[in-house]
Amino acid sequence: MYNPTLLDHFRHPRNVGLMRDPDGAGESENPVCGDLAKFFLRVTEGKVAEARFQTYGCGPSIAASSLATELIRGLTIDALAALTPDAVETALGGLPPDRRHSADLVVDALRAAAQDYRSRAVVVPEGGAEGV
Amino acid sequence: MRRIYLDHNASTPVHPEVLTAMLPYFAECFGNPSSIHSFGREARDAVETAREAIAGFLGVAKEEVVFTSGGTESDNLAIKGIAGAPRSGHIITSQIEHHAVLRTCQHLEREGFSVTYLPVDGHGLVDPEAVERALRPDTILVTIQYANSEVGTIEPVEEIARVARARGVPFHVDGVQAFGKVPFQVREIGIDLLSFSSHKIYGPKGIGGLYIRKGTRMVPIQHGGDHERRRRAGTENVAACVGFAKAVELRAREMHDEARRLTQLRDRFWEGIRERVPDVRLNGHPTRRLPGTSNISFKGVEAESLILALDLKGIGASAGSACTSGSLEPSFVLTAMGEPPEWALGALRCSMGRGTTAEDVEYVLEVLPAAVQRIRALSPANVA
Repeated sequence: MYNPTLLDHFRHPRNVGLMRDPDGAGESENPVCGDLAKFFLRVTEGKVAEARFQTYGCGPSIAASSLATELIRGLTIDALAALTPDAVETALGGLPPDRRHSADLVVDALRAAAQDYRSRAVVVPEGGAEGV
Repeated sequence: MRRIYLDHNASTPVHPEVLTAMLPYFAECFGNPSSIHSFGREARDAVETAREAIAGFLGVAKEEVVFTSGGTESDNLAIKGIAGAPRSGHIITSQIEHHAVLRTCQHLEREGFSVTYLPVDGHGLVDPEAVERALRPDTILVTIQYANSEVGTIEPVEEIARVARARGVPFHVDGVQAFGKVPFQVREIGIDLLSFSSHKIYGPKGIGGLYIRKGTRMVPIQHGGDHERRRRAGTENVAACVGFAKAVELRAREMHDEARRLTQLRDRFWEGIRERVPDVRLNGHPTRRLPGTSNISFKGVEAESLILALDLKGIGASAGSACTSGSLEPSFVLTAMGEPPEWALGALRCSMGRGTTAEDVEYVLEVLPAAVQRIRALSPANVA
């Protein structure tokens, strides 16, 4: 039913759990199935240095969350905000049609985290040198 | 890897004796039961002997048993067959029927019939008095399941039958999940139509039956030859009829002991879960329930991920009915029972059967709590 990459991330999820004082955090919920994903970002020099997640959901949603924490490492915030569900799905080795929502869930939560980072970066400027 | 099958309400393995009984009816005794020659007569004998065995098990006349392609067709034939005689009227059913009943009723609504979908209580029970209150002068059928496939709750069919009979309204029972698992006599209960299936009781798939009480007015829904006393056109699936009858014969022998054994295993399972896992609840009736069926909600766990985790350990369980497992929404059965979504989404159905051992249950009790803990640890709901 699910491919080996997906099953590996489900079995051994990477980067699970809360992050202390993240530079950005975002979440997304699928109102139909109740799946909920939260991401926490550590950003260094405008790039994602570390990401962690917490997800309530089906196997693919958990696996997609885990995979995304590795996929986005090193991305600029702009690149993170432009991440597509297709990119997550491809990296995950594909999703069954009725589980595509897992990639949407993860991307929505990551975009929210990117947005959160940007809003913080503006509110708390570090001598005006932060980001952009 | 050790493999444990806990999805007997979805389907069961064909009993070896059933398979052996069927084998001659593919290539050796292959005739069409409607043919006059000896090839046909041999096949006819096989079909009628099978019908007699099943009728005997149900305590009904052989002429009252119609072979169908399975439970879904039986439900369709019963409901549309009754509805087709007067061509209009009112039907009473419940909100937690199998889709074969619910969607047939919804179809008839679009055709102009009116349907009452009775609510159920927190245990999944239909109230017979609610059936009585719902009866109208134009009610043509009451259709209620014997037992629910997701939670296993056994409905008060005796009381409902009395209510329907007092008003002269035919009573159809979807008995697919109960047939061959719990003993009952359709005549004593007062059932007019009973749907039942073979592959839930270690028989082959693709065959089921419908008991139609003599004198019940109905029309066929499938047209063709004069098979099954003109009630169901189509050449009988001879090998499957033979296998089905063998499965029934074996159930008659095993059912009572099995029901007792599975009830013990089922209760041990729930006791073990309750001891080992916090935030759990048992769905369905605590005692008035199918022997092997446990439907348990794990708060903060999405059932799909738990099924996947168990599957990776060789355990086959499900989230409610197999027909709806592709669905993302919480079970309509649990929702009708008033279960909040956060519990309903974490509902796991484990249905045991004749192959399930006490050791299997202990193994699952080792694996399952760890799987639940692991998934809960991933979830933000746990931390919130």
